[in-house]
Amino acid sequence: MKDLPTEDILLFRSCLVSVEYPGVEASTKFVFDTLGVDYAISEKQTCCTGLGHYSDVFNQIDTSAIGARNFKIAKEMGRPNLVMMCATCYAINKKSVKLLNKKDRLRNHINKLFEENGLAHLKYEKNDLKPTENIFHVVDILYAKKDVIKKHIKYDLSDFTIATHHGCHYCKVHYEDTIGGVRNPNIMDELIEECGCKTIGWYDHKRATCGTGFRQRYSNPDLSFTATADKMNAIEDEDVDILVHLCPNCHIQFDRYQDLISKREGRNFKAIHLNIAQFIALAMGGDFDKVIGVKAHTVPIDSVIKELKEVKK
Amino acid sequence: MRDDLKVGVFLCECGGNIADTVDLNKVREELDVEFIGQFENLCSLNGCKIIRDAIFDIGLDRVVVAACSPISHEKTFQDYIKPLNPYLMDMANIREQCSWVHSDKEKATDKAIALINASIEKVKQSDAVDPIYCQTPTETAVIGGGIAGMNAALSLAKQGTKVTLIEQSPSIGGHMAKIGKVFSPVKIAEECGMCLLNPILNELVWNENIDVLTNTKVIEAKRRAGTYNLILEKSPRYVDTEKCIACGKCAEVCEVEVPNDWNDNLSMHKAIYRPFGQSYPESYVIDMDNCIKCGNCVKECSMRAINLREKEERIPLQVGSVIVATGHKLYDMEKRPEYGYTLFRDVITQSELGRIIGVNGPTKGKLLRSNGKVPKRVVMIQCVGSRDEKPDGHKYCSKICCTVALKNANIIKHKHPDTDVLICYTDVRTPGMFEKYYKHIQENGVRFLRGRPGEVVKKGGNLIVRTEDTLKGEFIEIEADLVVLSTAMEPSEGTKEIAEILNLGTTEDGFIKESHPKIKPVATDVQGIYVCGTAHEPKDITDSIMQATAAASKVSEYNHGGVEIEPFIAQIDTDKCAVCGECINRCKYKSMSIQNDEIYIDPMSCTGCGKCLVGCSQHAITVNGNIDEKIFATMKGILSKKKDGERVILVFLDNIGYAAADNIGVNRLSYPESIHIIKVISVNRVRPRHIRYALENGADGVFIGEFPGDLMYDEVELKIQGVKDRLEELGEDPNRLTFSKVYIPYFSGLARKFNEFDAKIAKLDETE
Repeated sequence: MKDLPTEDILLFRSCLVSVEYPGVEASTKFVFDTLGVDYAISEKQTCCTGLGHYSDVFNQIDTSAIGARNFKIAKEMGRPNLVMMCATCYAINKKSVKLLNKKDRLRNHINKLFEENGLAHLKYEKNDLKPTENIFHVVDILYAKKDVIKKHIKYDLSDFTIATHHGCHYCKVHYEDTIGGVRNPNIMDELIEECGCKTIGWYDHKRATCGTGFRQRYSNPDLSFTATADKMNAIEDEDVDILVHLCPNCHIQFDRYQDLISKREGRNFKAIHLNIAQFIALAMGGDFDKVIGVKAHTVPIDSVIKELKEVKK
Repeated sequence: MRDDLKVGVFLCECGGNIADTVDLNKVREELDVEFIGQFENLCSLNGCKIIRDAIFDIGLDRVVVAACSPISHEKTFQDYIKPLNPYLMDMANIREQCSWVHSDKEKATDKAIALINASIEKVKQSDAVDPIYCQTPTETAVIGGGIAGMNAALSLAKQGTKVTLIEQSPSIGGHMAKIGKVFSPVKIAEECGMCLLNPILNELVWNENIDVLTNTKVIEAKRRAGTYNLILEKSPRYVDTEKCIACGKCAEVCEVEVPNDWNDNLSMHKAIYRPFGQSYPESYVIDMDNCIKCGNCVKECSMRAINLREKEERIPLQVGSVIVATGHKLYDMEKRPEYGYTLFRDVITQSELGRIIGVNGPTKGKLLRSNGKVPKRVVMIQCVGSRDEKPDGHKYCSKICCTVALKNANIIKHKHPDTDVLICYTDVRTPGMFEKYYKHIQENGVRFLRGRPGEVVKKGGNLIVRTEDTLKGEFIEIEADLVVLSTAMEPSEGTKEIAEILNLGTTEDGFIKESHPKIKPVATDVQGIYVCGTAHEPKDITDSIMQATAAASKVSEYNHGGVEIEPFIAQIDTDKCAVCGECINRCKYKSMSIQNDEIYIDPMSCTGCGKCLVGCSQHAITVNGNIDEKIFATMKGILSKKKDGERVILVFLDNIGYAAADNIGVNRLSYPESIHIIKVISVNRVRPRHIRYALENGADGVFIGEFPGDLMYDEVELKIQGVKDRLEELGEDPNRLTFSKVYIPYFSGLARKFNEFDAKIAKLDETE
């Protein structure tokens, strides 16, 4: 397995996290602080272009150029380990590093653009960053700290039926770097186990997409929501209370549209949706409002989690 | 004068393999020789005529053939230059080490010119010498007691060769013993596999030339003087095969039940058991991992055959040649969790289905699902792990699964006409006569759907196979009672282990690689070792037997024809020799001895490394073939073609390293054009003064590779360190010299090392 850093980290902010579920960022920071992960945030960092890229607004050159700029910011801060809260940022940035290292023409072109626009200081040198050694998802870092999670757990969530939804952009793009299985993704199941809970493990459609498909949700809603409904039906069949995510795109698709799909399917879906960082933060005693950010959720968290039971020491 | 020799160069286009990348017109312009010939396939008989005519017409003294690797065709061209002595020809390897590893045409052409020029300079230093013929021991080891190994052993034994058949499990028989029915496409009928296997097994057991060792594996191998010294490890059986009469009373009193792996764990056997009804040796065996040592069996055995304290045994074995028949294993279904194999009992493999419908299987041949009922709907999924580009999948086709599925589908249809059998396929591959069998099975009502299922799930007690019907372009869900997975064939653990132990080349998939896929399909990269059966690649029983008998025939050739040895070995001038014995002490290969008061050098074990030369106070030893001068000439040939700003790295490799370097080309990996490989008979022959000459005359780096299994490895490593120290004293950068381990199977590692060394040298060049 790849080496996992726990220091010199730039926690890469995500547009969707900031706009839709700010609690994911607050929870990530809360868990990182609790586990002693060394990270910082930069105000200079911009969007990875993900949503725009997959909707054909940004081409690969623009995306890689923006990536190069963000990588330079990380390097200048002395924090060459970029850690993403969003699976799409993860896949996009990993791809950009790969391309910038491998494709001399692309790199030279982008560097020329920087130069012509008075941004020579942003120039990317080959192998400035390495895709495997510098680009991570938050789950990777949590995995590195897996063994110490247990001693910080305050609340016992093991009475709830828990399932995981691993985002495609974490599992299905850069196979070689995915921890915990590709065909049967399990990294979140393993992390949840460290919180003293057992997930249901494999379930029908566990590996399937959330259905977002970026613009598909808007231009092809029938297809998009059919995929979501397949998964929601499977989750409901298993009587799941909490579905745990690692990507804000999936999180939106399930949480914001659960009511709509319930009506469409004529079935009352009850699961609440938490990011893995929110889940662990919750188990570690994070504040519902200030850390977990429950008010931003459409499916009310307290519809399932009515009270918390302290872990018996 | 050597410079006045008439040299002819012959360029091979290799049907475009070379000419498409290397500009041969430019090559012709750059060479300064007496004659240049060119042909599309020099190795053909027409090529022979071109070479021979030129030798006669022009009166050539020396010949350079710029073509493929000498490993492929050196013997061919040595023959084609008759009446010239075979060692007056040198091959420039512009295919495996040029056109197949480089894509930039201009750079590849420049490199080809340098390599050919090196050969021209080298061949001028060659003298006529005669090859030496030697005989190796005829005893042969066959590793693996499946259908391939059994046939190879039997064929050799019938030709009078003593064979030791080594099998790791408690019985010979292999996969064929458990597959139940087999079929021949022409007969369009399935027949009992065991009934076909048994006569072969009996014949083998009764043949006095064959010694069968079960529970035994090779753990070490060394080659010396054409003899393989194998160390075998025989695990205890705890039952004396001489005494045991296989009455089975021991198993009756045994209380421990263990999953029966011969039945793919679908039934249980006792901790003391007989692997299967016809197993050989005809004896029980104890599974000591599970035995509780209660002693019941010991008390029950009237033959006193059981000894719970038996220890493992090490057996040395000397043979002249080895046949590897270590077989395959089936794909690990944990890697495809979406098919539910580990979750649902009614998702099984074709191998398990074979056991279930086999009359000697767990259900005595009755097709039953886990609830004890006959399945009404069977779905088979093809290409599980084969033709699969997803992580942990194999890109190759496993070749037999289409016909295996057809066979099992037909057996089901025959016994249970009401059961619906649907085969989900990628393509049905039934070449030759198998196509008739495919049609026959279609007529019998087996259904086919083109599509690779995505997953198998369980809903309300039913298995559901989700797939796209790619002919209709529709997504469908198929209900099933039983799902059968056609899993990929992959190299067995034994195959991977033996490749390491014998230092055999393997394919990227881990199968044992033949030395040439077209013309040498059973030889391996190592002389005297042959491969057959599924250790080589996926194949069926017929092909395994054909390859096994071919391997046996190759061993016979080797045994009768002897081995031709390159004559570049040490020679003693008995007039000068004082028989002090110093050379005997110095030789790592133990090739020297005193016979009849003279030093005798065994030509099979001498490698020509030259270590004895240095220690001989009488200067009585020489090594044939002008080796020092040839190395200088080769370097000169390369470096004289160096262009301004070009980076040149000289790489010295012996036969093993050279084969690894060829494999880089064969597998179409790449490395920088700066890498120029020079083949030497032993890297020990590369002397400090050669290295200094290289660096002083334009080489940017020197890379020396050696197989760590070579007895001279430590010595060469030490020597290189000495040269590095000396270079430093002389003000040269010692980092320009590197010493590296080389293995035939790890050709990709060698390519990586070339790339890394080139990058390092490029950096040094920049800073200087």
